[in-house]
Amino acid sequence: MTTSNSKQTNMRSVTKNTLLKVVILGDGGVGKSCLMNRFVSNQFDEHSFHTIGVEFLNKDVDIDGETYTLQIWDTAGQERFKTLRTPFYRGSDICMLTYGVDDKSSFKNIQMWKNEFLYYADIKEGTQFPFIVIGNKSDVVPEEREVPLLEMETWCNDNSITSYIETSAKNASNVQEAFKMAVQHWLRLESRADKNDPVIDDTVDLTKKHSDSRSSCCIGAGDE
Amino acid sequence: MQSTEETSRKPENMWKDVYKKLQKQKSSDFQNYRIQQVDGGFFEKFGSLLREHAELTAAREAVEKRRVVEAFAQAVPARHDDDDSENDRPLPTVESGDEASLSSDSEVEGDKDRTELIATAWNIDELYCEVLYEILHNVGCDVALEVGQTALFSYAQDAFKMPNDKHHHFMELAEKKEAPELLVNVEVIEAKDLKPKDSNGLSDPFVTLYLATNTTHRYNTSVKTMTLDPVWEEHFALPIAENNKQDTLCLEVWDFDPAESVKEKLGKIFDVKGVKGMRKLMKEIAVTATSGQHENELIGRAQIPLGTIPASGMTMWYSLDKKNKVTRQGVLKVRIAFSSEKNNQVAKQEYRHMLRMILMHELEVSKVAPHWWCGSFSPPGDQLLVQHVVQSGIPAVEALLCQYCVYAFVHQSHALSLTLFANSLEKLAKPMRTDGVSEEDCKLFWDATKRLLPSCFAVVRKIRKKNCNEKTTMKQVTEVLKILNHIHSLEPPANVDLFPATSYPWATSADCADRSIPSTLNDAVVRGASDWLDYILENNERPDESDVSRLQSLIQIIQLVRSDLQKAIEFYDKLFQETVNFQYAKALYVYYQVKLSTMCEPAVIEICKNLKRLNYNGTSNNENAPDPLSEGTSLFELYLAIQRFATLGQGLCPADYDSFHIKNFHQWFHGGVAQWLDIAVYKALQRIEKAVELDTLTPVDNTVKYSSSAVDTLTIFYQVKIFWEQLNWPDVESCYTFIAKIIDDICRCSVFYADKMAERVDGLGDHSDIYEKRFEVTTEWCLAINNIDYVRETLEPFTKDLGMEDIIEKISELKSPVEAQRCQHTLENVIANAIDTVRNKIVELLETVVSKMAPAMKRLLIEGAELCNQDSNSIDRLMMYVDNNLSTLNRELNEENFDRTLEIVWDMLAGTLKEIIQSNLDKRRPPSFFANLRKTLNLMLGSFKNPDDYSSCDVLKKTENLLKVNGLETADLIHQVHLDLAEDFRKAKDSPFGEISVRVKFEENTLTVEVINARNLIGMDSNGSCDSFVRVHLLPEHKFSGIDKPKTKTHNKTQFPLYDEKFVIKLNPEQRQLEDGLILFSVKDKDLLGYNNQYIGEAFLSFSDIEDTVQSVETLSQIHLHLGRPTEKFMASDGIRALEHRQGDKLSKDFIKRFKQRMGT
Ligand SMILES: Nc1nc2c(ncn2[C@@H]2O[C@H](COP(=O)(O)OP(=O)(O)OP(=O)(O)O)[C@@H](O)[C@H]2O)c(=O)[nH]1
Ligand SMILES: [Mg+2]
Repeated sequence: MTTSNSKQTNMRSVTKNTLLKVVILGDGGVGKSCLMNRFVSNQFDEHSFHTIGVEFLNKDVDIDGETYTLQIWDTAGQERFKTLRTPFYRGSDICMLTYGVDDKSSFKNIQMWKNEFLYYADIKEGTQFPFIVIGNKSDVVPEEREVPLLEMETWCNDNSITSYIETSAKNASNVQEAFKMAVQHWLRLESRADKNDPVIDDTVDLTKKHSDSRSSCCIGAGDE
Repeated sequence: MQSTEETSRKPENMWKDVYKKLQKQKSSDFQNYRIQQVDGGFFEKFGSLLREHAELTAAREAVEKRRVVEAFAQAVPARHDDDDSENDRPLPTVESGDEASLSSDSEVEGDKDRTELIATAWNIDELYCEVLYEILHNVGCDVALEVGQTALFSYAQDAFKMPNDKHHHFMELAEKKEAPELLVNVEVIEAKDLKPKDSNGLSDPFVTLYLATNTTHRYNTSVKTMTLDPVWEEHFALPIAENNKQDTLCLEVWDFDPAESVKEKLGKIFDVKGVKGMRKLMKEIAVTATSGQHENELIGRAQIPLGTIPASGMTMWYSLDKKNKVTRQGVLKVRIAFSSEKNNQVAKQEYRHMLRMILMHELEVSKVAPHWWCGSFSPPGDQLLVQHVVQSGIPAVEALLCQYCVYAFVHQSHALSLTLFANSLEKLAKPMRTDGVSEEDCKLFWDATKRLLPSCFAVVRKIRKKNCNEKTTMKQVTEVLKILNHIHSLEPPANVDLFPATSYPWATSADCADRSIPSTLNDAVVRGASDWLDYILENNERPDESDVSRLQSLIQIIQLVRSDLQKAIEFYDKLFQETVNFQYAKALYVYYQVKLSTMCEPAVIEICKNLKRLNYNGTSNNENAPDPLSEGTSLFELYLAIQRFATLGQGLCPADYDSFHIKNFHQWFHGGVAQWLDIAVYKALQRIEKAVELDTLTPVDNTVKYSSSAVDTLTIFYQVKIFWEQLNWPDVESCYTFIAKIIDDICRCSVFYADKMAERVDGLGDHSDIYEKRFEVTTEWCLAINNIDYVRETLEPFTKDLGMEDIIEKISELKSPVEAQRCQHTLENVIANAIDTVRNKIVELLETVVSKMAPAMKRLLIEGAELCNQDSNSIDRLMMYVDNNLSTLNRELNEENFDRTLEIVWDMLAGTLKEIIQSNLDKRRPPSFFANLRKTLNLMLGSFKNPDDYSSCDVLKKTENLLKVNGLETADLIHQVHLDLAEDFRKAKDSPFGEISVRVKFEENTLTVEVINARNLIGMDSNGSCDSFVRVHLLPEHKFSGIDKPKTKTHNKTQFPLYDEKFVIKLNPEQRQLEDGLILFSVKDKDLLGYNNQYIGEAFLSFSDIEDTVQSVETLSQIHLHLGRPTEKFMASDGIRALEHRQGDKLSKDFIKRFKQRMGT
């Protein structure tokens, strides 16, 4: 290997960040892909296509002086892709439940998305999981808005979801904040989990995820 | 670096070769086997061993099939004499349709034929007499020689079952008999409007003919059952005495035994089936007939005086009368004519009766097996028949036709060889086509054909049921097809119903009117397939109602069906196509695909919907594999089975395949694919764990630096790939997503492998003895690292192998290039991510190694610092330690990883040094400590293979510098600070403080310095001007003690002073030779009182930059120097810091104090 190559490696090994797997869920057309693209490359496409199956991007974020590498899986919201997207839920660290503020039914479906996620991600019942609810397209004119902020807040409170935000991928409002909020939520739960359960398991478990090996994108979560 | 090319080329080759290579490695083979045991050869079932597996399956299928066939044969015992099988069922039926006959699966129109037997029997005496007569008058010499007359008589007696007394009686008659001079030929054609006699409102009519002068010599037609409009079309020749032209012909229509219907009677007698039964019936009827004890009832009679008949003959309707009855009892149509010779039609009728009698006799006597008889009679039988043909002058074609008809009739109760019919038809086809046959014979021909056909179709239907060998079946099928082909080439007359509904209850074609040979053949083929499938289904064992056994049973059914199709292709298809232009295999396929689709689709969809997720939290203990696993596996097996079935269809019916329902079978499985991928990962993880466990951590051979588990892991990946290929999923959108998932999963497997590998070597190389605990880098560690790297290298080629490019291209076509590009980016990202993640794992492991080495290295450094210059074997030992470890790493790791290791080592050393320096500074260790430490470090770096490389590590370089400055004695350190400051100033492009110009030269040991002027000096006074002078210092100060520090005059209130002063300084040779000597020009602002002169700025000139010349200084070019001041940053430099640390040191304390003033304010 060439020197430049090994330099690269060097850099990598030096900047080893915590990796977090994020999945974005929500009805087709609520703007998931736009949110991701706004977040990752600060671009917005007025005429974006429906996602086929999944899309994947990496992005580093700095939070409280730490750098986190977010591995973002943007899923296809259309029903016909259901069997294609669900396999990607497993091992997620963060789940973003997205709806469009101009689309009541997409908001109603949030519950469905949450359930689907919990089922396929294999999250143990009763465990806290960092969900964040995102009401996208906050830029729409008031006449077109179908979901008032209050209604969303009420729903989140009822469902013990503490992180929620309204965003607009179109005019870039709150997009960075939404992702940061998600990571911070994860951090809160993580530090709590660290305190509460010291490592008990010393048997060899095929699928066990070492709490210190967060570096993997793909190790199954679900045991935290 | 030469290896660069090799390494970069390697992954691709490696990936392709890995599997081959693996198979070459025997030990690995064994290991492989052991790994497979983890999951019972999960991948192999679908993976690389698929072909072998397929062969195995084929063999199993063959056995299976044979078993089923045998079972089938046993289950339906009657079928072994096949065509007649249906005759076991309660005897069907009579011509007119009663309900039972319609529904029963009869192939034989038994009743009508049987009633014909009655006719034969009733005329048996007449016929017998005729036969005897013919024997007496045998013509030709040949036959008589072969079989004696006596033998013929006795044969005839046997064949006709004549009791002796009757035989003698008839012999007498025959001997006396002379060729009649005149015959009245009567054809009884039909009757109409007969009066019913039976309770069912119908009758079983037959006609008795006799001459009024000879009432005992009666002739009978056959009995037509259950009808009031019978059609006989039978011929009779009654001899009349010449003088008896006044005789009367009597025709009586009778109802046969009204007390007991023919049907009942036949039913009773036909309990005994086959030839024997028929013979029995004939005999019984014969007895009844001769004894006259039958309970028949007369319907009506007609009397025709022979005198009323013209010589040319006539056809007439006669009304039937009955004594005491005024009303008409019906009408009878007859044709009557005179002739002097035996009428041809009568002769043929006789011939047919004889044929039947003799054939039946021979079949019984020589116990010919079904399907066996193919046309040869015993010599006496043959002779009787030939004589009849000859003596009655029946033309060959007509005789042949008679044979065909009789054989077809007998065939119904006792199967004859089909070859017989094929041959007959071969000869008859032409005359039939060219109208060389009378209308009546034509009718007979089609009637016989109608009888023959069901048995032909039965052969096709029961193609699978033969328990005899393939050859016999083939032969039979061949003959059947020939027969069908001949018949198909002929046009049946419009009024012939060749396919009576009662004979084809199994035919599926809607309307029997439209039935033809091809359509019925198709029906027969389909029916055969459907019977076969029904049988399979009935016998398909399902141990329980679980989904797994449901799936397994479907798989088995498909396999059986497929092997049936394969057999069809192999054996029959060509035959069918060539003979009758019928696509046999295709017809089967069309049927099967519908059936299988309707069977599998709902089951698969339901099972997919109910699939349970794999529970990953379960332990790896796979004693009793979790249910979802075997469920998913069975589902996949079914998928493959259907896939193979579908592929078969594509080949078989390329034109129609698109319209087949089975074509979209994969859609049924949609919900299962994710599960399969999960299972594949699950299995792969299990195997990896096992592979690591079995790894002995020795290179697989001496050309490589990785061990078995790496190869095994790649093999597992390879299996996943094969699995993917097997799946051959047609929908591109899903394909794309699944590939993303597979790559992610493979990444996950690699990380898992890395973790397991790390666990595996953890603890290896740890030594402890009384002196110390230390860690030795072992080859195992290196192998572990190489293994992971080896796996990582394959990730990219692996992903290529999944057919990404192809999929992307298809998405581009299906959707749009833009979307395809996004998909491609996603895949690339996922791959890059996977590779990075694994690389991080490697780095993690390398860090572990280095951190394990760290304590020993730290100790080496400290001990070195303490003990340097003393002879100490502790140092040697530690040096050896580092050296050994490094050379192991260098030898065992590939270049990239070794370089990476060094980088980590540099980092580690830097960190360690910092720690040591900090703690020892705090401990106020003398500079010599740090100097020694630095020496030890350099010693240590010397044992590294690429010591230069650490220069790329800035942290280490900085740390080393720190060490360097701390190791200097204060005076030297001060000079070092000056040198650093000079370097700092040199970098400045311009200066806010101003500039001075000087000329400097050496001549021998004399230094001449001319300070010329300064420009742009920074304003120091309130009026923005300054009062400057320049002092010249020589550094390092302690080397120039005693030497003047000359200064210029002060130039007031100018920022552009012209000093123009020259100083000549005498040095001793030692001073002159100082390499790093410096001249420091300090420009200061003169304070009014002269106590507190302020620094304007300074400039340095290095001795090495000064010309040594004899020229006068004025001739040299001017040197312009920017003025500088120490910056804040400089104040934080290692040198200043080190000086600040030496608080007990007066020299350094004073220096720092003065130095700070030089910063200005
Ligand atoms: N006004 C407005 N429109 C938006 C915003 N975000 C997305 N859109 C529009 O919404 C449409 C759908 O956006 P996508 O990001 O493709 O939706 P999606 O959730 O990824 O849809 P699927 O991929 O089918 O699941 C696009 O036409 C966008 O232009 C937003 O913040 N404001
Ligand atoms: Mg999208």
